[in-house]
Amino acid sequence: MADLLPPLGTAQTDGKTKVDEKVDYSNLPCPVPYEELHREAIMSLKADNFEGLRFDFSKGLNQKFSLSHSVMMGPTEVPSQSPDTTIKIPTAHYEFGANYFDPKLMLIGRLMTDGRLNARVKADLTDRLVLKANGQLTNEPHMSHAMFNFDYMGSDYRAQLQLGNSALIGATYIQSVTPRLSLGGEVFWAGVPRKSGIGYAARYDTDKMVATAQVASTGTIAMNYVQKISDKVSLATDFAYNYLSRDVVASVGYDYILRQSRVRGKIDSNGVASALLEERLSMGLNFLLSAELDHKKKDYKFGFGLTVG
Amino acid sequence: MAAKPSLKNKGRGKGPKGSSSSTSSSSSSKYELVKEWTNWSLKKAKVATQYGFIPLIIIIGMKSDPKPHLFQLLSPV
Repeated sequence: MADLLPPLGTAQTDGKTKVDEKVDYSNLPCPVPYEELHREAIMSLKADNFEGLRFDFSKGLNQKFSLSHSVMMGPTEVPSQSPDTTIKIPTAHYEFGANYFDPKLMLIGRLMTDGRLNARVKADLTDRLVLKANGQLTNEPHMSHAMFNFDYMGSDYRAQLQLGNSALIGATYIQSVTPRLSLGGEVFWAGVPRKSGIGYAARYDTDKMVATAQVASTGTIAMNYVQKISDKVSLATDFAYNYLSRDVVASVGYDYILRQSRVRGKIDSNGVASALLEERLSMGLNFLLSAELDHKKKDYKFGFGLTVG
Repeated sequence: MAAKPSLKNKGRGKGPKGSSSSTSSSSSSKYELVKEWTNWSLKKAKVATQYGFIPLIIIIGMKSDPKPHLFQLLSPV
């Protein structure tokens, strides 16, 4: 019996050294951008639930150029004085959009009937430097925002500089430390409410799971974990704590990607359960159903929509 | 008649002040001018972007290959 044990032990260690390759620290992969650190969790847990009717018609004129028309009818929330009641005002609007997609230049513009323009520009200035600009321009004075980002992509790191209107400056940096772990940090300074902040983030991902954590001096601590159970199913969970305002939220969600449809849902520790169904009725025709039940505030939102093209 | 004495006062008051702190007042007024110019140009840029961004995308799109027709732009199908 004692003779059997050592040969088994050596066979196992041989198998293990074959599987664990030597990590080449000079050739690490480029990490995900800092603002997309928790993108897998956002897909399940922060799906865009809407209320009312939504109709999107998108017409492609070209490989690169397309126009879109969308109609949205439904109540929109207005911030109210007391946190218990929500004031909803029924509105209807039409939005015209134009998109241009090129490998080097992407332009997206959306114009509403009340004059609000939502513009996004992404231009590759060089191989590694990307300029992104984002703006919401309104007719009301002092309600417009614009933000410019300069992203530099290195071999195993990414750096970003952000400039926004009303004197907002921010910088983020993220670096791959091992093939699976990346660490990053951010710094920002806002001119109008004179405050500055610093934050750190970490992301660990394998083929089957992704775990991220973020800490910021604005008081937020957020951690999330996504497990990819198969090609079709993934589950996510999220925990957010604000140590300045003492808010805690934990949520659990799922994302089922099936052949003809995609269902995403989540349930929250604030008593909010929500789900979003996107079903492909035929080529280019998608049907959307959205529901969000807030049991604590007794606010129930249901929406349906159709996307063509 | 009331305006004249105030103007004279202004002239007298400015004289000694102006000579001693001419550089600081000119630099502060330069800063004010630069701020005013940037505010004016940002306002004009905002109006230009609001009116011109979507037409710019449409012009760039209509010039890309293969060139779409004007009819395709306007028809709802």
